[in-house]
Parts: sequence; structure tokens; C-alpha cells
Amino acid sequence: MTVSLAARGVTLRFGGVIALDEVTIEVRANELLAIIGANGAGKTSLLNVLSGFHRPQFGQVELNGESTRSLRVDQIAARGVARTFQGTHLLTGLTVVENILVGRHVHMKSNILQAFCYFPWTAREEIEQRCIAEEIIQFLEMEPIRNEPVGTLGYGLRKRVDLGRALAQEPRILLMDEPMAGMNAEEKEDLARFILDVREARRTPVVLVEHDMGVVMDLVDRVVVLDFGRVIADGTPPEVQRNPDVIRAYLGQTQ
Amino acid sequence: MTIDEAQTLPQVLAARARQTPHSVCERHKRLGIWREFTWSEVQENVRALALGLHSLGTRRGDIVMVVGENEPQHYWTEFAAHALGAAVVSVYPDQSADEIAYLVEDSGARIVVAQDQEQVDKVLGVAQRTPGMKAIVYWDGSGLWSYRDPLLRSFEAVQQVGRQVHAEDPGLYERELGAGRCLDMAVLSYTSGTTGKPKAVVLTQQYLFDNAARITGALDLKPGCEYLTYIAPAWGSEQFFGIALGLIAPMVVNFPEGPEQVLANLRELAVEAMLFSPRQWESLASLVQARMSDVGRIRRGIYDWGIDVGHRVNVGRLEGRKASLGARLMYPLADALVLKPLRDKLGLVRTRIALCGGSAMAPQGFRLFHAMGVKLRNTYGTTETGVLTLHHGEQYDLETVGRWVKCDPKYALPLEWQVSSEGELLVKGGSGFKGYWRKPDQTAAALDGGWYRTGDAVGTSERGELVFLDRIKDLRRLRIGSGFPPQFIETRLRFSPFIKDLVTLGDEKRDYVAALINIDMEVVGRWAEERNIGFSTFTDLSQRPEVLALIRNEISRISALLPENSRIRRFANLPKELDPDEGELTRTRKLRRSLIEERYADLIAALYRGEKNISFSVPVTYQDGRKGTLSAVVSIADVDDAADTASIAGAQSARLAFVG
Repeated sequence: MTVSLAARGVTLRFGGVIALDEVTIEVRANELLAIIGANGAGKTSLLNVLSGFHRPQFGQVELNGESTRSLRVDQIAARGVARTFQGTHLLTGLTVVENILVGRHVHMKSNILQAFCYFPWTAREEIEQRCIAEEIIQFLEMEPIRNEPVGTLGYGLRKRVDLGRALAQEPRILLMDEPMAGMNAEEKEDLARFILDVREARRTPVVLVEHDMGVVMDLVDRVVVLDFGRVIADGTPPEVQRNPDVIRAYLGQTQ
Repeated sequence: MTIDEAQTLPQVLAARARQTPHSVCERHKRLGIWREFTWSEVQENVRALALGLHSLGTRRGDIVMVVGENEPQHYWTEFAAHALGAAVVSVYPDQSADEIAYLVEDSGARIVVAQDQEQVDKVLGVAQRTPGMKAIVYWDGSGLWSYRDPLLRSFEAVQQVGRQVHAEDPGLYERELGAGRCLDMAVLSYTSGTTGKPKAVVLTQQYLFDNAARITGALDLKPGCEYLTYIAPAWGSEQFFGIALGLIAPMVVNFPEGPEQVLANLRELAVEAMLFSPRQWESLASLVQARMSDVGRIRRGIYDWGIDVGHRVNVGRLEGRKASLGARLMYPLADALVLKPLRDKLGLVRTRIALCGGSAMAPQGFRLFHAMGVKLRNTYGTTETGVLTLHHGEQYDLETVGRWVKCDPKYALPLEWQVSSEGELLVKGGSGFKGYWRKPDQTAAALDGGWYRTGDAVGTSERGELVFLDRIKDLRRLRIGSGFPPQFIETRLRFSPFIKDLVTLGDEKRDYVAALINIDMEVVGRWAEERNIGFSTFTDLSQRPEVLALIRNEISRISALLPENSRIRRFANLPKELDPDEGELTRTRKLRRSLIEERYADLIAALYRGEKNISFSVPVTYQDGRKGTLSAVVSIADVDDAADTASIAGAQSARLAFVG
């Protein structure tokens, strides 16, 4: 199976703290991969490395077989790596549809001057982008809140908008940082369904950093477990659940 | 074939598509934009679907089930089924899998057209248990990417097959369409079974045409007017309103984006015709009231003033009273500042035909819309008989359900009706009740010598409008055998600003209806002060002859709507307020009938003995917990007997004595 995104021997240090210690993972095409681990295990750091936000001291990240070392964050994004954030980093004063259009930025050609003059081709482009944004709104069932300012929405809906914005990039791989954190059971179920839909309808591989073991085990194809910056297990959910190292890391040492 | 010769709905559609192929026929909001369908586009879609369903094995007399929201595909499926001579069962989208299983079994449907994943999930389980199921067709494929059931087909795929069939045999659709006759079974409309399982009323093409004609005969429905479809086609009313009238009038039928966006869509469209259920109208009204209760004093004052002027002018005109010159002069300003912006916010600014049907709605809600300048009309009917009455013209009584509609002799016999000795409405005529689907015994039970028994107790107002009282089974019986509607009387009287609460009396041991009234101290007190009527306490005020006359007037107003034996004959004003502390009311102010009847037994006995007044005492609990007795002379008044007023006026006014 082809590998969409890979980290190879990645080591990331902040001063004396080793956040990631020679981590190697592969995300395969059309795969739902979860990265789990206790607090401080390095999950978010790994996601930041994958999206180019942090530069590792050693090792490299490969996007479709090509190293991303020489690319800027925005260039990596333009090549199809999209992410959602822990918490939501949305523009609260803008409406849902406007936030999603922000995600379309990488696909727009008009510059600020052209937008100001609103040439016919600029208008045409805006209409095209709006159509795509509307399809995402329909996909995530956000029609009733389309024109609501994001600041007025509840947390569960904001997370959905966040996902919508990431999807607007038409990502070739989607990274999600703790998407279920702070959600109630129903919101989690909704989001899990949308994540499955993303994989099924768009054939986009999804990397999920998650705390909630229950959701992860039901949802994903493969699990990578991090503990103090190291990969301690890599396999299907049942395999990982039986792994003694994982049990030790999660439940503490048994004598 | 012309529209006048058409006997089935798809024949009308075909004729319209020939006559005005490029006019807009339907509009649906999808992906944020209102997308228009012309007559020829709808005709092409319906034909393709019909031929696709034909190749799936749908034949004359078959049943096709549709499960989903009001979307164009729902309507196209119905037209396509009709074109093949098949009947349609529409299912509410929120019905459970078990209910759908019952409907599939009872109707015998073997093709189900479902909206989306949610509906497909419900139908799939049922289909796998149903032998002979031919196909499940869905029109919104999201979430269904990985479904592999052999029964599943997408709407487009079925239409694609239909288009191939049309290319191979271009005359097939015309032949199927041409075979349609007015007596073809068109719809199985399931009535909500309050008793037992739901049963389906058989509706024919003729029924749909007949009912559409009854509405166009009663209302000034302009061809091409904009209509918003919101009520489900599973309900008989939408069958002849949105579906039949949409083609026959014709109307431009607008489909909202989804049930949650109806209010927003309504405002975008500002439609001209709409039919909502009371609950939907009430939610519009409460939206206004909730928003206005949040605003500051000044804006609230302007709103109250505007509504008051609107009320005096619009409701006054409706009820045949002439508004004062001041109000009429103020009206344009009130309209510009308050009423028109309100109508605009709600999307009612162009509404010419606003109907409320399905169950009874409180006249108060009606008055708010009329004050706003929206001429909201009541309609009454049953699935079995179609629409029966409707508020006609410019003057009608909000307490009634309107005057009888007329049938077009082209489609139906004139409607005949009578009220049985039990007060039940019996109806005959029209396109006729064709019975319940596969339930001959229940059909027989609903008929009485050719008359359909509605099960509804009705009265007639002085102006000849029908008054819906209650379901017959909810009436209370008197000793003389006739029933009366306690709910109807109590709700209506409670709307009087002077009456806070009341208890209607009368049962198998009594000959007539009587009432104990709890006046509204605040309103009646103000009323008395304005007229220089002195009073000391609640007890004193309640027994003033002028107040008795006032309450008598309120009761007579309601009595005019009731049959003779259901009218309140005698009443007394309670000398104290009904009080939850004494258990007379629940904390939510619901009456505790038996307890009240026990506490006021002496008063009630005197009332039925025909006495004019009674010296009466009742135990009370004070707020500090002390117990005492309230004694008073309570006057008892007859409602009909006007001469009685004098005798009350002469009677001793209430005396108070507190015994600690």
C-alpha cells in the first residue's frame, strides 16, 4: 500500500526536553490512523512535525515520498496537508461559511487588488469557491448555521466548522488534534460518523490524535502508541489493546 | 389532452409541460441557492422516474411508499406512481422502523422511495423481512457509499434506466399515462390511530381534484402564486394542497432546505400561500413574543402600541366593529413602524392566503396574526371527507372553523351534512368516502346509512359558520342524554380577560350545564373603578350585581356558539379565588375538579335547586398557616333570564364575617 505521509527517525528537542525520540510512523493511503498516548507523550508534537509547524533536529518527514524539509508551512499546506486544532482556532467574528472560505484560500488565485476591483473573473472565482464551501456545509450538515457567526456556536459545532475548514483545503491527508476533547457523547458520535464519511466519500487518509480510547478503538484501522516520545506499539486496535507495554503505559506497572 | 380533460395529476402535469414548458413550477433550496425547475424539467424527471419504476416492476394498482421530507423528489415520485396507475403511501420522516414495518405490511407496498441514509437504514431492516420487496430507491446518497444491499438503487440510476426505456419505446409513457382514470386509487393516507393501529383512507384522483376545486372555489388563489410546502404529504391536506393544487391552480411550489430552515427560507421567499398546522403558527407567534419580551421598555412600548392599533383596526373590521377614527388615522403609522416590519421578519409580507388546519388553535393566536395584518384562516375537514369548511371572504368569526365549501359539480356531488342527536357531525356527498384500505369492518363502522360519521361534536354560529366543539368521545353527558364540551367552554371563557378560572358543572345526575367562575380581581377591579363601582374585597367585588351582569355577558357570547343543551344555564361567582394552597388547583393551575366539587357542594346544590342566593361558608387557610372560615352570601345568576339582573341588584350585597 502506498504511503501518503511518513516520519522517519524524527527527533525533536526543546532545550533539554526530548519531545520525540527517533519516531518513525507511516500513514498509508485511505487509512484511519490514531496516535494515542498519555499526557506529554508527544502526540501533538508529532502532529506539529507532520504539518511542518515544528522542524525536527534529526530525521525527516516525507509527503508522498518527497522530503518536506525545504518547504515552508504554507507550502506544505498547499500540497494537501490539512489539520484541525486542539480547541478551535476559528475566526469567531466571521460566519460559518466565511470560515470555510478561509480554508479555500490555498485554492484562490485573485489577489487583494483584484478582489477590491471585483473583476468578472474574480466574481466567477468567488462563486466557484462558494459552491465548494456549500458542498462542505451540506456534507457536514451545517445548513441551519451557515450564516451564524462562529462565536455564537457551541463547542461541538465549532469543532465541526473546524473540520469543515480543513476539508475546504481539499486535503490529501487530514491531521486532527484531539477532535473529541470536551465533547459530549452525542457530539462524539456525530463527529465519528463525519470522520468515517471523510474517509469513505473523499478517500482521504486521516490521522487522529486522541485521548478517548473508546472512540479510537471503534473507529480506526491502526493505532500508534507513544510513550515519552517513543513509539511503543503499532498495530490494529485489538493488537494494541493486548500489548503489555501499552497496558503498562496506560494502567501503570503491575508487579 | 388538455388540462380540463385531465383525469389524473400527471395528465395535468403533461398538459402544463406542453402549454408552458419554460415557466417555473418548483423551487428547491440546495447548496444555499434556490434552484428552479420548469414544467418541462419536472415532466422529464417524472417520466424518467416512472419508466424506471416500471422497469422495476411497478404496475397499475401497485403501492409505492415514499419516506422523506418535503423535497421535489418526494413529489416527483408521487406523480410518477400516479402516471403508472399506482398509489402512494407517504410516511412521516420521523416515523420509527416499527411503524414503517406496519405500514409496509398493511399497505402492501413493494417499492420504497426513501430520502437518505437515515430512512434507508429504517427501510432496509423492514425490506429484508418482507417477501417480494422489489427495490429501495434513495435520492440523497450521502453516507450510503459503502451500502451494498442488492435492493438499493439511487434515484438517478432508476431515472437513467427510465430514460433508456423511453429511448427504446417512446410511446410507453404516453400509453401508461393515458390509461389513468379519475377513479384510480391515488393515495393511501394513514390516519393517526388514537384508537388501535393506523388505518389508511383510500383517496382517488377524483378526491384530489375535488378538494383542490373546493379550495379554489372558496379562496382567491391566483394562478402562479408562490406556495411554501412544509406540512408533510403523509397528511391528507398536503395531498390536495401542495400536490394537487400545485398542478391544478397552478402554484409555484417552494421546497425549504430542511425542516430547521423553514423560518429562514420563509423570509427569503415571502410566499403568497401557506398552510401550517396550529403548532407551526403558534411557534411563529411565540417567536415574536419571545423576541419582544427581551427588548427594552421603549421598543416594547412601540410594539405594544402598534399591535394594539392593528388589533383595533384589523380584528375590529373582521368582527364587524368599526375602529375609532383615532385608531384608523394611526394605522398607517403603526403599519409602517411595527406591523409591516413584523410581517417582513416572519416572511409574511406578501402572504395573501394563510391557512391553519389540522386541529383547533386558540383564537388568541389568530388575533395576533390578524392584528399584524395577516388574514389567517381556519379550515376544518377530515381525511375521509376532505376539506369541509373554511373561513371565507373578509368577515368571519375566529371562534369558528368557517363556512361550508362548495364542490365543483364536475368532480363531485354537493356536500350534505347533518348533526346527529348526539351532536355528531355526519357528512355525505363530495367525491365520497371510499373506505379504509383492506378494513371493511372499520369502513362499515364509520358509515351510518351512507353518512360518514366524523366523530366530531359541532355547533353552528348565528352567522351559519361551523363551530368545532370537541371529539364526541371527550364530551361529558348530562342526565337528559345530550353531551357538552367542557374543554371548549372552559378554554373559551378563560380567554375572557375578566375570568381567571372556571369549573363547568354537569354530569349524568344533572339536567343542564352550570359553572363556578373565578373572576380576575385585577381586571374586574379596574373595570369597576372606571365605572365608579365601589367594592372592598374580592368577595364583595365578585358578588356585585354589575359584575354578575358582566360575567353573564361573557358567558352568553360563548353560548351563541353552542347547541342549546350545551349552554351554561346558571352560574355563580366564587367568593374567593381558587387557590393551590388549599389544593383547589395544582401548582401548575390545573383544576382539581373532585375536590372543588366537594368543597363547594352546598353552593352547587343550591345552584341546581334554582335558588337565587345562598349563605355559604368554606374553610380557608391563611398565609401564616391559621385556619378559618370564609362566610359569604353568594348570588346565583341565570344566564338567559335578563329580568334576573334587577333581582340581583336588589339583593343584599355580600356580607363578610370571619370566624377565627
